[in-house]
Amino acid sequence: MLRAARGQQQTQDTKRLWSVVVFSVGGMKLAARTEDVEGVSPWTEAIPVPSRTPFVQAMLKRNNHVMPVYDLAARLSRTVQGEPLLCLVARHIDGPMAICIDAYVPSLETVNATAIRPNDSQDIESLGSVTIGEYDVAIVALQRLGRLRQDAVRS
Amino acid sequence: MSLRGRHNSANTLAETASFLVVRLGLSYLALPATGVRGILTQEEAGYDEAVTAAETVYLPMDLAQRLSVVADLSGIERRTVLYSTGRSHGAIRVEQVVGLTDVERKDCLPLPPQFHCDERNWFGGMLPYQDQLVLILNPSWVLGESPGVVPVAVGQAEQLVEAIPAEVGRLC
Repeated sequence: MLRAARGQQQTQDTKRLWSVVVFSVGGMKLAARTEDVEGVSPWTEAIPVPSRTPFVQAMLKRNNHVMPVYDLAARLSRTVQGEPLLCLVARHIDGPMAICIDAYVPSLETVNATAIRPNDSQDIESLGSVTIGEYDVAIVALQRLGRLRQDAVRS
Repeated sequence: MSLRGRHNSANTLAETASFLVVRLGLSYLALPATGVRGILTQEEAGYDEAVTAAETVYLPMDLAQRLSVVADLSGIERRTVLYSTGRSHGAIRVEQVVGLTDVERKDCLPLPPQFHCDERNWFGGMLPYQDQLVLILNPSWVLGESPGVVPVAVGQAEQLVEAIPAEVGRLC
């Protein structure tokens, strides 16, 4: 019974901890839940696609796989920095989506869920914000990136 | 990408669809080949004029403008594609005719759902081709065939009302 209680306690502790990937776009630090990130690799040239969808105007082709590119830097009115740039593949609800991020190599961090605050800024889909080191970092909701804009366009 | 002449992606008996691949600016676009009635040089087609061929009048279409694509239509590779759906006929100016390609239907991909605006009417899908991505044009949209929409001539594109994707999904 004691062992069972200890196991339950461990499960609760794990639930309280979020594993996040910290990356940067145009020098702005952002985070995403690790389960929302499929991978990070070197950025390759995107293929422009005529489109009216805000910030979705290119695709990335890798071998036989094609995925849309979300221009997060443009969304944040920033320019990606460094060389070589990196590609973060997001597990979006509609399928994998590529995001060009700064050359700064992402790091893994563990944050306590209780430390996550609601994000005051309404300019991006987020799960809240958290202090990592000296930075106040928004946790981007990669799964529904672009949905806020979509809703705004539709309303 | 150099795709002159016909390209076969497979030599099996699998069901295939034929496309004319053209380039406008940085975009590679495909028109179902069944609607192609001719390809004219700049000298043959004239400048922004309707083209009459075999007693059919093909109205000039400014596809680059409608797609908001920056294209250089003054180059020597500029061509005018005479295109017909049977109901409508258009003379489509392109920067380059890349070639004909036969594609197995299984290789035609839908536009990812993250693209959710007008482009879903413009394109019926896409074809990965060599190092490029070719977008399959919806001929009905190109020729302005949607209900209540008259074919759009050069300079009238801004008057186009939103098209309905009648052909989308049936192109490939």
